[in-house]
Amino acid sequence: MTNVTDQQALWLDLMPFYIREAWLLDERKFKDWLGIFTDDVLYFMPRRKNVPRREADRELTPLGDLAILEEDRRYLEMRVARLDTGMAWAEDPPSRTRHMVGNLEASLLENGEAQARTAFLVYRSHLETDHQLLSGYREDVLRKVDGAWKVARRMIVLDANVLLDKNLSVFL
Amino acid sequence: MASTPKYVVIDPATGKIDRRIFSDPAIYDEEMEKIFGRAWLMIGHESLVPAVDDYFHTYMGEDPIILTRDGQGRLHALLNMCRHRGNRVVRCDDGNAKRFMCAYHGWSYRNDGTLEHVPGETEAYYDALDKPSMGLLEARVETYAGIVFATWAKDAPSLEAYLGDARWYLDTVFNRRDGGMQALGPIKWLEPANWKTMVDNCSDNYHVPTSHLSSASVQARYLGRPRLSHADQFASPNKHAFVNGHSITFRDADDNFPRYVHGVSTETFRLFEEYHVATMPEVERRLGTLRARQVQLGNHSIFPNGILGFRLALPRGPLKTEFWHFVLLDRDAPGELKRAIRIGSQANNGAAGMFEQDDVDNWRQVTESSTSRFARQHPQDLSMGVGHAGPHPDYPGMVSERYISENNQRLFYQRWEQFMNADSWAGIPLDPIQARFEGSATMRG
Repeated sequence: MTNVTDQQALWLDLMPFYIREAWLLDERKFKDWLGIFTDDVLYFMPRRKNVPRREADRELTPLGDLAILEEDRRYLEMRVARLDTGMAWAEDPPSRTRHMVGNLEASLLENGEAQARTAFLVYRSHLETDHQLLSGYREDVLRKVDGAWKVARRMIVLDANVLLDKNLSVFL
Repeated sequence: MASTPKYVVIDPATGKIDRRIFSDPAIYDEEMEKIFGRAWLMIGHESLVPAVDDYFHTYMGEDPIILTRDGQGRLHALLNMCRHRGNRVVRCDDGNAKRFMCAYHGWSYRNDGTLEHVPGETEAYYDALDKPSMGLLEARVETYAGIVFATWAKDAPSLEAYLGDARWYLDTVFNRRDGGMQALGPIKWLEPANWKTMVDNCSDNYHVPTSHLSSASVQARYLGRPRLSHADQFASPNKHAFVNGHSITFRDADDNFPRYVHGVSTETFRLFEEYHVATMPEVERRLGTLRARQVQLGNHSIFPNGILGFRLALPRGPLKTEFWHFVLLDRDAPGELKRAIRIGSQANNGAAGMFEQDDVDNWRQVTESSTSRFARQHPQDLSMGVGHAGPHPDYPGMVSERYISENNQRLFYQRWEQFMNADSWAGIPLDPIQARFEGSATMRG
């Protein structure tokens, strides 16, 4: 193999990581999916506002404002545990999802962590005819734990202002 | 001469309710005029427009509204509709601006609604345009403890009379502290359900142990929150009260225990308890002992479309509702407490909230079953607890004997009939204010 830069090696590490994550979600292996996160993870989805172009810095609500999701590991574990109760009605019968993840850009940080952003299109079909298309991007900070990359911080940004969907009960 | 009212949709003795009110486009259209065109509607919170020239974009029913704070600090609710052709003059969710320019032809308005500039006023209009009469249409605005309400009805009573004795209960959350509250949000999403179903659901404590069992049980396990079983709910000392058109549920608590609001867990309980105890002298001064220590507001809805506090069900046709989820926090609460409530709020309610996400398919299917020509001939049944509610010596309103009852829902649809059958506000009954409002808290905070 020809010389691979550190940057390229990271990309080659992370692209399969994100593909694997997508399969875990689409195959509803949510407990395994929790394994991709560190114990101190922040799983965060800000709101996205209509603001003038010149005030683009206000478009995403900051941490500390009301977010669509602001979860730590315990809250994520609760959401997953809930699905096994047989009474988590938003997901029972479960959604059929397809997570398409790409446009990966990744770089190493000085402290040995990595940052990566990916774009996603997630299709969800539920019950008979309900369906939704969720488009957006994720910005992750990843950390090596026992030699494996884990997500320590995830910000999910949807390309929507008013969500056109009955609820947001799938993971992104 | 008593004419037959147009709408008789519920039989109070049997709780049978005509399903067509959830799906008929003509009835929906009339609701927009007779309910959303008349009632005091929650549209915002003062903390969303804290500074001079701030604005926040909101809705009165389907109508887009710019809530502004003008150069003198006065609030305005302006219809976001250029008086020329009807284009919106604001396309952003919020911001700070002294004037708003229509992007179609450039008419511009001051943030108090005055039409200020019309391109070609002399050359094209020959100075014949009556500018003073062409300001943005403005609704009446009043506030209660920082929550901003607006109405189109010139003959509407004061907001104080509109809220009436419901405020006696609402004060226990919204008027608790000298420093008032601040609003964060909203999370916005479209639910495929009629707006009334999610409003009447505010008094439906019966659904909680079934619809929300999965969330309650994992939160009991992980966070130490209550389990909310049917047995707990049936035995609950808590009550329903229907007060002057508004649906209240409240905890009748003699133990002076902090409310189990969003964010309370085994770990944070001490934080909530310390805050409860530390603020109690102030709260007693503001609300009197009974309300400060014993009465705790639960799920409730302010007629017509306020849901569990300052959250809005904005009608978007008979089969759709845009839901806006805000969280209100005591402005002077410790940061750690605000954080716990904020995180608890998104975890439970909002588009992704564990509780709220399980409601939607119920509401949607209740709405959809009202569209079928066959199914809609068969009424909904809201008969639970008929004959088991009445006046109470200590508490304002029509108080149900139990926490699980459909009394509030029956009365909500009767209130709906009163609005839909009235020709004007003169025909809409209001209860007199009779509750004893102990303490210093007022409408203004």
